[in-house]
Amino acid sequence: MKLLPLITWALLALSPVPLQAAANKGSLNLYCWSEYVPQDVIDGFTKETGIKVNVENYASNEEMLSKLLAGGARYDLIQPSEYMIEALIKAGKLQPLNLANIPNLKNLDPKFTKMPHDPEGQYSVPWMAGSVGIVVNTSKIKEPVKGYKDLFSGKYRKRIVVLNDSREMVTWAMYSLGLPINTVTPDALEKVKPVLKDWLPQVKVFDSDSPKTAFLNGSVDVGIVWSGEAAILFKKNKKFQYILPQEGAHQFIDSLAIPVGAPHKENAEKFINYILRPEVSVKISEEFPYTNPNLEARKLLKKAQLQNPASYPPGEPKLETFKDIGKAAQDIDKLVTDLKG
Amino acid sequence: MQTAIGSGELPVGTRRPGLVGWLLMMPMLVWLLAFVVAPAAILLVYSFCQRDELGRVIYDFTWGNYQRIFFDSDTGKLGTTYLTVFLRSVVYAALTTVICAAAGYPVAWFIGRAPERWRNRLLMLVMVPFWTSFLVRTYAWMTILANEGLLNACLQSAGLIAEPLELLYTPGAVVLGLTYAYLPFFILPVYGSVEKLDNSLVEAAFDLGAGPLRAFQSVILPLTYPGVVAGVLLVFIPALGMFAIAQLMGGGVDPTIGEVIQNQFLAARDWPFGAALGMTLVAVFTVAFWFASGKRAAA
Repeated sequence: MKLLPLITWALLALSPVPLQAAANKGSLNLYCWSEYVPQDVIDGFTKETGIKVNVENYASNEEMLSKLLAGGARYDLIQPSEYMIEALIKAGKLQPLNLANIPNLKNLDPKFTKMPHDPEGQYSVPWMAGSVGIVVNTSKIKEPVKGYKDLFSGKYRKRIVVLNDSREMVTWAMYSLGLPINTVTPDALEKVKPVLKDWLPQVKVFDSDSPKTAFLNGSVDVGIVWSGEAAILFKKNKKFQYILPQEGAHQFIDSLAIPVGAPHKENAEKFINYILRPEVSVKISEEFPYTNPNLEARKLLKKAQLQNPASYPPGEPKLETFKDIGKAAQDIDKLVTDLKG
Repeated sequence: MQTAIGSGELPVGTRRPGLVGWLLMMPMLVWLLAFVVAPAAILLVYSFCQRDELGRVIYDFTWGNYQRIFFDSDTGKLGTTYLTVFLRSVVYAALTTVICAAAGYPVAWFIGRAPERWRNRLLMLVMVPFWTSFLVRTYAWMTILANEGLLNACLQSAGLIAEPLELLYTPGAVVLGLTYAYLPFFILPVYGSVEKLDNSLVEAAFDLGAGPLRAFQSVILPLTYPGVVAGVLLVFIPALGMFAIAQLMGGGVDPTIGEVIQNQFLAARDWPFGAALGMTLVAVFTVAFWFASGKRAAA
């Protein structure tokens, strides 16, 4: 059996192949969230422009940052959220966009451009906005779950899914304590620690990629997820209700930005302009029903989509964006890592 | 496989490799230097470094990362957080190895003793799962084990259980996933040993009055021992560091050392701490291996 060693080696070699950053002109290295850019949109872009898109995914802003700083792969376009944009601008890691190449910017709701994290709107173009809130399977849980405290009252032990994201977890605890979420001091974290120590063991699943899976396969009845995931659940079955916690909730602005050293900056700008077209943007909304900042695209949405409370929450809920908290991010990572053990 | 394992036990008088031997070994040595020694050295250096706020490594010496592994930051006493993680991972990997051995040995024996024309086909069957992505196969297990999944649905419709069993996102699911992923790594090297086993020796054992148990214990097992050792190593070591299965099938609760290390390099952006955990793992291995091989040499 000469085959045997060969087979064994072949097995050992079955490791993920890293993205090959293509050097030719006609390509675009897109580094984006998992489950956020529809394949349809990528194919449409390639078909129209002939530009080949290499996609790589991440599950958290921090993961993206860590790979971006490590160098190696040369990304043209990344998809950071508001606080990460602020940090990347501060660190000089983003290039100003050539806005003349992106005429479709006019389609955007001015509420979402020039926000505090990028006051001049020079570095980032909003992709989707959303919130982090509570989903309840109302066929299993009959009483109202109004906020974080209700969720972690101990009643739903091991029936809970939450995002696997340290900053989010700390934010929920801060809201429940009535602390300002962007003032992350050692004192505040001292107060957060016992709260999370009580909460985290109640969790059944930590998942940032696709927290809806745990709901759909019946493993959990309640959880804290991205609003877009909640909207998909609601679309599948009305029993999955989305609730913005009464204590307050994080509003994220996921955006497109071009890192320093991007080999195909113009292609990246072409892509940004392409996804800002109403008919393209509406495709993204259909697959990932977050709050679309593109007003022209919203006109094309169906009534049912606009009335999905997870995508377009009614009323005036208390929503806040994250600010870059600098060094404190490290303390948060450490706190949550040590608690999860 | 056989020769690679056996080489550690060459008789003393064996010829040392000459110039040609060294030249032939060069690719292997370069490979080891570039992909084992150098990365390990980098990790060792990192494990004594610090990080800045964006997560970049700063070359400022500290013992802090190792302190964090072994001591509780509040009380200053011996900390149990990461020791528990280590222990949990070792238990998962050990269970996986035992189950793989119990299930894999008979299979390897059967294939190795099968008529020659069947062997390659049977081996192919062991290999077939590798034709699809391992992540896809893990997700398939998730749909089988979920509360509203295939297995629970079957059991419920058969009237065997009233409420769905909690199968997914449990330690049992993690061990199952690991066993499933690594079983072929046990079967293949054992098959290699079984295939080479001289059948007349087994017949001799029976002729001399040994029962099946005695023949297995005194003849078959010692003769296939190199394959078993290789299988144990090929299952135990990767199972210890595996993070994807633990994360997907364990739900990220009760993390294994692989998950914690992976998390340090990505989401938590604390490379020095991840490096310290990695080095500790290597140290644990080295000590365990040293003890194990010491004992064998003494026996």
